[in-house]
Amino acid sequence: MLEVILYFIQQLINGITIGSTYALIAIGYTMVYGIIGMINFAHGEVYMIGTYVAFMAISGMAMLGIEFLPLIFLVALLSSMLVSSSFGWAIERIAYRPLRGGNRLIPLISAIGMSIFLQNYVRLGQGSRDIAMSSQISGGWSFGPEDGFQASLSYIQVLIFIVTIISMTVLTLFISRSRMGRACRAVAQDLKMANLLGIDTNRVIASTFVIGAALAAVAGTLLGMYYGVVNAFVGFIAGLKAFTAAVLGGIGSIPGAMLGGIILGVTESMTAAYFSTEYKDVVSFALLVLILLFKPTGILGKPEVEKI
Amino acid sequence: MKKQIARKVLGVGASILLMGGLNLANAETIKIAIAGPQSGDVAQYGDMQVIGAEMAVEQINAAGGVNGDKLEAIRYDDACEPKQAVAVANKIVNDGVKFVVGHLCSSSTQPASDVYEDEGIITITPASTNPDITERGYQMIFRTIGLDSHQGPTAGKFIATVVKPKRVAVIHDKQQYGEGIATAVKKTLEEKNVNVVLFEGVNKGDKDFSPLIAKLQKENVDFVYYGGYHPELGQILRQASEKGLNIKFMGPEGVGNKDISQIAGKASEGLYVTLPPAFDQRPENKTLVDAFKAKSQDASGAFVMTSYAAVQVIADSIKGVGSTDTDAIQAYLRSHSFKTPMGEIAFDEKGDLKGFDFEIYTWHADGSKTVVK
Repeated sequence: MLEVILYFIQQLINGITIGSTYALIAIGYTMVYGIIGMINFAHGEVYMIGTYVAFMAISGMAMLGIEFLPLIFLVALLSSMLVSSSFGWAIERIAYRPLRGGNRLIPLISAIGMSIFLQNYVRLGQGSRDIAMSSQISGGWSFGPEDGFQASLSYIQVLIFIVTIISMTVLTLFISRSRMGRACRAVAQDLKMANLLGIDTNRVIASTFVIGAALAAVAGTLLGMYYGVVNAFVGFIAGLKAFTAAVLGGIGSIPGAMLGGIILGVTESMTAAYFSTEYKDVVSFALLVLILLFKPTGILGKPEVEKI
Repeated sequence: MKKQIARKVLGVGASILLMGGLNLANAETIKIAIAGPQSGDVAQYGDMQVIGAEMAVEQINAAGGVNGDKLEAIRYDDACEPKQAVAVANKIVNDGVKFVVGHLCSSSTQPASDVYEDEGIITITPASTNPDITERGYQMIFRTIGLDSHQGPTAGKFIATVVKPKRVAVIHDKQQYGEGIATAVKKTLEEKNVNVVLFEGVNKGDKDFSPLIAKLQKENVDFVYYGGYHPELGQILRQASEKGLNIKFMGPEGVGNKDISQIAGKASEGLYVTLPPAFDQRPENKTLVDAFKAKSQDASGAFVMTSYAAVQVIADSIKGVGSTDTDAIQAYLRSHSFKTPMGEIAFDEKGDLKGFDFEIYTWHADGSKTVVK
């Protein structure tokens, strides 16, 4: 009996870890959608770039002989957020702003183009091979009998939860309390009206992309340290999963992205645990279809109000 | 306006035609296509294929070429994707190439070989081990490597007689190569009454295997066979050791390259791998291995010598037939034996090697390997 419970807990921990990282990436999708009603398909690539930069920062510090772990983590995180944010900003300037106001499909296509461009740009610059890095944070706790099944919780998993929760809290506070956050909400409600009332909507939209990209970089750094491997194409699958999480939770809603990510992650790990790893994508996407059938706006999504 | 565009299109079309014509006029060489992944996550194997095949081309040319003609190696990148492999195959047809060394991934070789068979292009794969490839009665496809249906039983017998585990898990990546070999291993194990408690597929490209590892722990598995390539197994090894699951793993030659040690680090120590025999360690190949070393290339890769042999076999049979008539060459290939760095090799009716065996190696954390006696 104990084993059954421990196994369940273990799979829950695994699911929540995967889910938190989906959620971190999903925020970028959901914020951009919430504000300008468009999907940023190049977001997964920003995440991938974030991982690369974190790897470079970590190996750079290893070369300098720095071994103090919190410092390594902090520098990797900050440099990756900085570089990714500038990519996010550039994506908005190049692929979105000139096309804003036109048909919604046009920026969608230009974002897909941006995504393919970034993948191949990184591949040409960094090579097509997987770049691997030894784990920086190892070890963890385990519970359960010595000779039986033990549930384990590694330090890096804990770090992923904590950083995710901190990022989400900071973001929620930013949106609900700060001046810029208020402007964001105003733009999300009605872009044209916000403009008429003197809000610099260009700046608001650009900062949305920057914030989304910075969060993707957080996910990139954490996951890079967790898995220890990156190649130029990891952004695609990660982006797809995160997008699914965003839609599941209700695209446009920040708590929805968090919830959607966790639901997706836990569904995947539970399917793998009690059914078969082969079917985890089948089950999670079937769940997505089911939820959208009964609640087309996602779990926490608000009913769409037609913007004119 | 429209007319102008039409004219431009015509002009471009005409110049492409002209360039094509020039190419034909230049065709003094015998072209050999090296088709495999030069990009993507298994590009390491593509590199082995390229250095082996290009070395053979270089040495054959240095020795005077084939019937007075020089060989020319042309690289084609299929990224180990079946769709791109067919596109590459069509490009090879359009380029007028009659000989292909490749492809590498079984799932690429299979669809591409349909094209080659129709167009009468001789294909020798130095790496694709899926049995189905030569099971379709095709005339043009050969291989200088063994089959999963041999590799699987070799691995299975080793597990059953040497390792003797109590509860085995067989995992695969749901690809033609990985699942094929995993099924063969499972079958052998069951015949030998080894208890296979888990047979499951994972998604290629996945990074998180923690649910799977928890499952292995719960099932008390003491040995894992993985059918697939190194990116996924590397992650599994790494995450298993982080979770304190210290059991033995084994994989086919698709996991046996230095990147697995990069990804898994210390966790790759002690991994069992079935590989083609280490031809580079045979004394009679010393001069060849030195030639690779002189170019600072690594001759120890599993597909270097098989690719070298593939080019050599093509060159020898063109010499033997006296022309590049592919129909005569395929008959020649089936009826003669060839001296290569892999030893004396011959093909059977299906195009498979006669008497090829895989060997079992222990992998080390620094990327080296030692043979298991």
